[in-house]
Amino acid sequence: MRALRIGFLLGFRQIQRANFWTTALIIFVMMLTFLNLIAVSGILVGLIAGSERAVQEKSLGDIIITPLENEEELLQTETIRRILDTLPEVASYSIRYQTGVQITANSKTRRDFSIEPNSIGAQAVGIDPAAEDAVTGLSNSVVEGEYLNPDESGYILIGALNLDRYTAGFADITGSLEEVFPGDSVRVTVGGASREFTVKGIINAKAGGVASFVYLPEKELRRLSSTASRDADEIAIRLSDKSPETAIEVKSVLVNQGIDEFAKIRTFAEALPKFITDIKQTFNILGTFIGAVGIIVASITIFIIIFINAISRRQQIGILKGIGIDRRAIEVAYVLQSAFYALTGSLIGVLVTYGFLVGYFDRNPIDFPFSDGILVAEPMGTLYRFIILFIITLFAGFIPAWIIVRQNTLNSILGRK
Amino acid sequence: MTDIIKATNIHRKFGTGTLEAHILKGIDVTVKEGEFVAIMGKSGAGKSTLMYQLSVLDEPTEGTIIVNGIDVVPLNEHESTAFRLNTLGYVFQNYALVPDLSAEENVMLPLLMRGYVWAEAKATARMAIDGVGLEGKYTNLPAELSGGEQQRVSIARAVAGKPKILFADEPTANLDTVSGKQVIALIADLNRNDGQTVVMVTHEREYALGCDRIIHMEDGLVTSIEQLK
Repeated sequence: MRALRIGFLLGFRQIQRANFWTTALIIFVMMLTFLNLIAVSGILVGLIAGSERAVQEKSLGDIIITPLENEEELLQTETIRRILDTLPEVASYSIRYQTGVQITANSKTRRDFSIEPNSIGAQAVGIDPAAEDAVTGLSNSVVEGEYLNPDESGYILIGALNLDRYTAGFADITGSLEEVFPGDSVRVTVGGASREFTVKGIINAKAGGVASFVYLPEKELRRLSSTASRDADEIAIRLSDKSPETAIEVKSVLVNQGIDEFAKIRTFAEALPKFITDIKQTFNILGTFIGAVGIIVASITIFIIIFINAISRRQQIGILKGIGIDRRAIEVAYVLQSAFYALTGSLIGVLVTYGFLVGYFDRNPIDFPFSDGILVAEPMGTLYRFIILFIITLFAGFIPAWIIVRQNTLNSILGRK
Repeated sequence: MTDIIKATNIHRKFGTGTLEAHILKGIDVTVKEGEFVAIMGKSGAGKSTLMYQLSVLDEPTEGTIIVNGIDVVPLNEHESTAFRLNTLGYVFQNYALVPDLSAEENVMLPLLMRGYVWAEAKATARMAIDGVGLEGKYTNLPAELSGGEQQRVSIARAVAGKPKILFADEPTANLDTVSGKQVIALIADLNRNDGQTVVMVTHEREYALGCDRIIHMEDGLVTSIEQLK
């Protein structure tokens, strides 16, 4: 206890009387280390988290109902619709019909049949425009033209990845339509049936296949494909509360209603493709590895700082021991300095992270090709990293102090080796 | 008066083999309680080395040292640190103050280590600083004091806890003549007025003349003992 008291006095005064700019520089290094620990892994994970968020908001919804493994369509779609209408947790849902179509852009203008048709194969999604917009905000993904109005016919929305000007670089692989703009006419062919549609808008979003589909009102798609069945291909559900817990609760309600007998019900988390969770884990490991390198660099920095500090005060340390000051008191003084650097640097790092960076990246996601990256900084993860950095810094401060303090007292006083 | 230090057949060697240096070659020394003893000799005579043995800062290669009734040679590092804290006071030639602590905090350090509460240590430290003639300089940092003033703070630190023996290793070495005389007078006053036992290493005969005895050393041996009082 006495050693602790004197250690605190010595350590506190050393910090207080140290050169301001040196202290500021050390704290700055510690802050950068902390940010490196939080931000690098946070942005790496945020790449996938941003992608996940986009998929949840713009494609899958909070719960997705799809056909059973051995079925091609969602059996008893109308029964499911009626059940969904009774659940107060369900804010909206979109019933989707999908079929493969051929889209030709120059069917009217191509007079010479030796010219290559400007056409592609695409996946068409039949939607109720209002319901789909309520679930995925599809209208917000319109980058050119306008969104579909309810009950209008003869219009189509085309995903940007079907257009040449949006797919420069990989259009040769996927195929794309050239020179198609809102207001242009395209021919949609399903099986043997064809019909002209006017392009009303272009859809683009970094989420799932949103930008690779074409969208048209479900009635028109079913009419075009001559399908009498009302059984859909999937139902995306938006809940009033987006939390995973609520999704699990609503799923269990749907299971209790017997829907799982004729459909596969998955929460958003369950429906995520495995490769996304794998990439997330990989990035997490990568971030942790980079953070670990940062911690090692920080601990070496602290080690060198404390070592130089202690070695330059070796004679003073010897004299302190000479007049009867317990070596533990001297060690505490140096550990306290390390703790001060780590705590102050980390606290500033926390303030920068939560007071600025998280909000900033939320408002201004990083524009990556496949997602809008955000900064993921879970409070528990931050606390965990903070504790690790703190403990390692304490050791980094203690070891050099211990090395110097354990030297022979008289040799230290006389400056002998 | 009883012997407060009794050193018998003290040898101190450094290095091994052909590099071995035999600094102390079988020294017998006694210091009585309340005595003021000076150790003198030329550079390399072994006077500082002898003082380090007597003041439990170093361990002799051979011999026994009884200080205040305790055989200090077998003490381990922890025990010798505690012994120095509770029994001995030191004045080093380079003042040896902690630069980050104020004058009073420097004096308070060993008191706090002894278990004084903060207020008690502060009051005792201020009294000791007053005692060395530095009233009002309690909160000055060492860098704000002259060499002589720093040495006086060092003396205040050494005696504040009322040690049994005060060791002074060439306390005037870094001081001008006036400051040097003041420091020696202060140490002599402590001995005369408070009965403080003092062992001082010096190479200035003028400063040693106020002592009770002068132990003369040469080449690791005590050559003569000069009784002054």
